Amino acid sequence: MKDAHQSSGIGEQDPRSPERFEDELVMHLARGQLVAETSRAVPPAALSARTTAGLWALRVFVVLVSLMVIYTFIDPLH
Amino acid sequence: MHAHRHGHPPRLRRAGPAAVREGLGLVSAGDLTVTNLVTLVGEFVSIRIGLAYFHLGAGVAVALGLALVVFTLSGRRYWRWERIVLGMALFNGLFLLAAILVKPHVGAVARSFDFLPFPGGSFNTLLLLASTIGATVTPWMIFFQQSASADKGMTPSDIKHGRYDTAAGAALAAIFGVGALVAGAALLTHNGSSITVGFPAALGHVAGSTTGAVFALGLIEAGAVAVLTISASTAYAAGECAGVSHSFNNSPRNAVLFYAANIGVAPIAAAVILIPGAPLISIALNANVLATVLLPVSLLFMVMLANDTALMGPWANKRSTNAIGITVIVFVGLCGAAYGIDSFLQVIDLIS
Repeated sequence: MKDAHQSSGIGEQDPRSPERFEDELVMHLARGQLVAETSRAVPPAALSARTTAGLWALRVFVVLVSLMVIYTFIDPLH
Repeated sequence: MHAHRHGHPPRLRRAGPAAVREGLGLVSAGDLTVTNLVTLVGEFVSIRIGLAYFHLGAGVAVALGLALVVFTLSGRRYWRWERIVLGMALFNGLFLLAAILVKPHVGAVARSFDFLPFPGGSFNTLLLLASTIGATVTPWMIFFQQSASADKGMTPSDIKHGRYDTAAGAALAAIFGVGALVAGAALLTHNGSSITVGFPAALGHVAGSTTGAVFALGLIEAGAVAVLTISASTAYAAGECAGVSHSFNNSPRNAVLFYAANIGVAPIAAAVILIPGAPLISIALNANVLATVLLPVSLLFMVMLANDTALMGPWANKRSTNAIGITVIVFVGLCGAAYGIDSFLQVIDLIS
């Protein structure tokens, strides 16, 4: 189901709407309130075994290529 | 599912520590820290080379970089930090001025967009290509932007304007980058391959001392702005990983790690340029190449976050956006891997 943001478009909010008011309110928050309002913990993503394996393969690959780049940089220095 | 499903107003937020601590997030954070450090070295090299034109040494470059980081942090407000950095970034236009001062032949500039390989064979071509990508699509920029958007207090209704800002910034960066290339190309007509002095000094010999000075100031500005933003990016990442306060709007007492990382990462990188005889240009190029090689992990992490409907709500990626994102990831990955493997095989004499 579409929510209000989807149906109205991000840039087309009524300036008098409650959400727009809350947006504007942010600019008047105290320092501590502003900081607290910008962070929220979310649970980890649930990934399939194939995705996890693929991501590990990518990590190993970039580490190996990084070592090659570092070796190529260091070797001529000797 | 809505971004404000728990009754919060629809604000832009960071993915919290629970997400960051998990697998790929942690690798991305480590990847980010390493690439930030090596890229920072490159930025200090830029300041060092720019200052050398004015006969100022590495010590001044280090002091200038560190003083700027401390000064911008002193306001304890994101807005103050951003205005200082944006004010400095205006001077990126100096590269365009340098390009105009060398009086380039317009037809020759137009013909240079033919995408022919660089002279010097595949090694140099890949080195410059990978290094340019690493200096442009940097991991720190990706994570800095999301952290800064949240710190700035942006809301979903600001996304449209945020996109305009990003597009304008990207276009200006490209224009100023082309300006630097055009100014630098003046050296090619004057035996540029035999440059033995700093780049701005060589440009000064060819196109006049004013052009050399303008280019040198551009290098100092570009390096200084990057030092500030990379330090901030590292501080944001450190705070998010540790799950502690990470905001310019907080006081140092309440955000110890954020401020410590912001100030602490610069001296570590700066120490490299103080090493006598350090190959500065090679360090800068290879730092950017390393960033390119590590970039696919960060980019993929970002695409996965952008596809998380629980996190992004109605702003989750569309298929078309994913197609563009994945194409970029594959291209960047291929460029980095091609240079890494090709150069390594050449160094160990398996290919010539």
